Amino acid sequence: MNHKINRVVIVGGGTAGWLSAGVIAAEHCIESQKGSPEDSFQLTLVESPDIATIGVGEGTWPSMRSTLQKMGISETEFFRECSASFKQGTLFKGWRTGADDIYTHPFTAPQSYTEVNLAPHWQTAREQINFAQAVSPQSALFADKLAPKQISTPEYAFNVNYGYHLDAAKFAEFLRKHCVEKLGVTHIKGNVTAINSADNGDIASIATDSHGNIEGDLFVDCSGSRALLLGQHFGIPLCSKNDVLFNNTALAAQIPYTDENDPIESCTLSTAQSAGWIWEIGLPTRRGIGHVYSSDHNTEERASEELLSYIASTVSEQAAAAATLRKVQFSPGHRAKFWHKNCVAIGMSAGFIEPLEASALVLVELSAAMIAEQLPANRQVMDLVAKRFNDKFLYRWDRIIEFLKLHYVLSQRRDTQYWRDNCEASSIPEQLTDLLALWRHQSPWHRDNNNVDDMFPSASFQYVLYGMDFETMPSQTQRRSEQAEGLRAGNLFQENMARTQQLQASLPSNRDLINKIYTFGFQKI
Amino acid sequence: MSNYKILSKEAHKDLRVNTERSAAYGDNIMYTMTFPMEFRDIQSCYPIFFCKDPESGQLYPAALLGLEQDQNLFLSDSGWDASYIPMMIRRHPFLIGFQADPDGAEGATKPVVSIDSDSPRLIDSSEKQSSEKEGSSEKGEALFNQDGTASDFLQSSIGTLESIHRGLEHNKGFIAALLEHQLLESFTLQITLNDGSNNELAGFYTIAEQKLQSLDGETLAKFNAQGYLQSIYMAIASFARLRPMIDKKNAQLA
Repeated sequence: MNHKINRVVIVGGGTAGWLSAGVIAAEHCIESQKGSPEDSFQLTLVESPDIATIGVGEGTWPSMRSTLQKMGISETEFFRECSASFKQGTLFKGWRTGADDIYTHPFTAPQSYTEVNLAPHWQTAREQINFAQAVSPQSALFADKLAPKQISTPEYAFNVNYGYHLDAAKFAEFLRKHCVEKLGVTHIKGNVTAINSADNGDIASIATDSHGNIEGDLFVDCSGSRALLLGQHFGIPLCSKNDVLFNNTALAAQIPYTDENDPIESCTLSTAQSAGWIWEIGLPTRRGIGHVYSSDHNTEERASEELLSYIASTVSEQAAAAATLRKVQFSPGHRAKFWHKNCVAIGMSAGFIEPLEASALVLVELSAAMIAEQLPANRQVMDLVAKRFNDKFLYRWDRIIEFLKLHYVLSQRRDTQYWRDNCEASSIPEQLTDLLALWRHQSPWHRDNNNVDDMFPSASFQYVLYGMDFETMPSQTQRRSEQAEGLRAGNLFQENMARTQQLQASLPSNRDLINKIYTFGFQKI
Repeated sequence: MSNYKILSKEAHKDLRVNTERSAAYGDNIMYTMTFPMEFRDIQSCYPIFFCKDPESGQLYPAALLGLEQDQNLFLSDSGWDASYIPMMIRRHPFLIGFQADPDGAEGATKPVVSIDSDSPRLIDSSEKQSSEKEGSSEKGEALFNQDGTASDFLQSSIGTLESIHRGLEHNKGFIAALLEHQLLESFTLQITLNDGSNNELAGFYTIAEQKLQSLDGETLAKFNAQGYLQSIYMAIASFARLRPMIDKKNAQLA
């Protein structure tokens, strides 16, 4: 029972598998291990040669920068090999009224957010300028399809915060090469044929058709929605969240640019539809466009019509005519727990919901980081770490689900059953209902993030709330702090305008900077 | 703006070049690219830093001439006040251009001497209805002799261009070696002048001396053989030239 945990086996080789491998290996696979070879840390990834990866998660959070950096990846190579582009946030169309309304959720927090809460000061000017533009330069930058930095900015550094859009299939392959060649991960190609149990119910080994039994101390289930180990073997059930988030089907297409020099969007576009929304993600090589919708509220035929009409109007009639749609169905929700005995699930095996705020990859990053950091020393303490892991990630899933639901409940749309159902009180998580009541009287700020595991900073809530026209009433009483801040706030709004203009004048376009990365690369300093 | 043309005897036979150093001719620049081959001369007059080309992000060594944009503390009413003028200053109005090389492989180019036909340094002597027979009394340096051969001035300028051409190649290797061994670090310098004004030198890089001191013998031997070691120490020593520049600025303020 007290043997060391030093053989980690990852099952599944999609983005989740290789990203987890990279994060764990970067921390633990060290060439000159002390002691005998049996004592050294071993990381093995078993990948089926027969199962195609599903390639979800083409958008990342800014957290991906430090994840890549910690793995020792050159950002230049990442851009060159993964068809990556810069993402600075999300632009939402039609969510408020279904007409041409627009709001943004940029990655950069409002000006001087740590010191001053600009939201109450903006309230008085809300008719003149939208919230995101008043407090941060970023939405103006991505409206102009600009990059978040210059070619002379060192790798991973920025003028304004950014994450990435990427080609998930290329990304998995890029990570595989890095893990195997640089980080000492053992790659085994084979199909899992059986799971062999130990006396205590742990997984002792997995049987493969090509390499026999592969023993391990900790098994990471990255087998996708099949959840081979945690779901099929251990029978940990999926908690459905379909009653909160209705979307369960996606139609995805890859659309080439009309001209190879067409500008590349530097944010994700999300356009509300009759029973779901359409994403548009700009890569240097193509656009990824897809429709995620509720099959209870829409037919596949109507959903594809909406998607093709979007492509026809935003790209071209020809592109719509030539588009091939790929259908993906999913059950929105997550496992009742993620770590059971000596098995932990990461990626779609742990759960999946609509990609509205690109939460898939960040959960992989966070899960792998926690395993890397808190790798149990022995089997005895593993259950304690497992409990921590489960508590933490159940909390995180709840926060993500609430934040996604927030996008729907603020809508004024009542044109279809889908939007009406989304505002049904019974579909809204209790904590979200409570927060909405509170935010009527005080805007979200740091006081709303009292847990380090909160997934979305209070600034994100501000962007969505005030982007969606939510109104927070002025303080009932005169407040000394707000009066004192008034002048400061005015200055910050001015500073933000000046900074916006300065950045608009100095930043290259998303396309130009990516071309420069291909030609010159980023400097490390 | 610059307008570079390939230099030809036919098109440019009557041109003369004014070699005076003055802000009017664009010499009022804060820094200029330099090359290890001239470090010995540069470091006797100017601090050597490293900076990035904004168009490519590529690093290159630079001689510092001023403490802020458009300031060159070595320019005075009587010209350039230093014993050595950097090659990249002396090259004007010439530049190395590249044209397709018909004798080379497909896509091959060869360097050619180009001239900035919009440079304020150029004097077209044919335009003057001058009675002077000999150009020698005219202002500036002729490009071509009467017999159509290159003048001494042009020959020396071509020599400078050739040195620059080699220097650019040399810089690539030098910078790559510095980056590989993490020998460059970013650096910001706050300079407070006697009048209380603050100048901030930002966006420059310098030799990371701690890293340099921890280099292993093998790398040092390699750097020595490549000539990089001497260049590195000259760059470090050149720092001492910053003080005289600040003094010069203070003297101007006084």
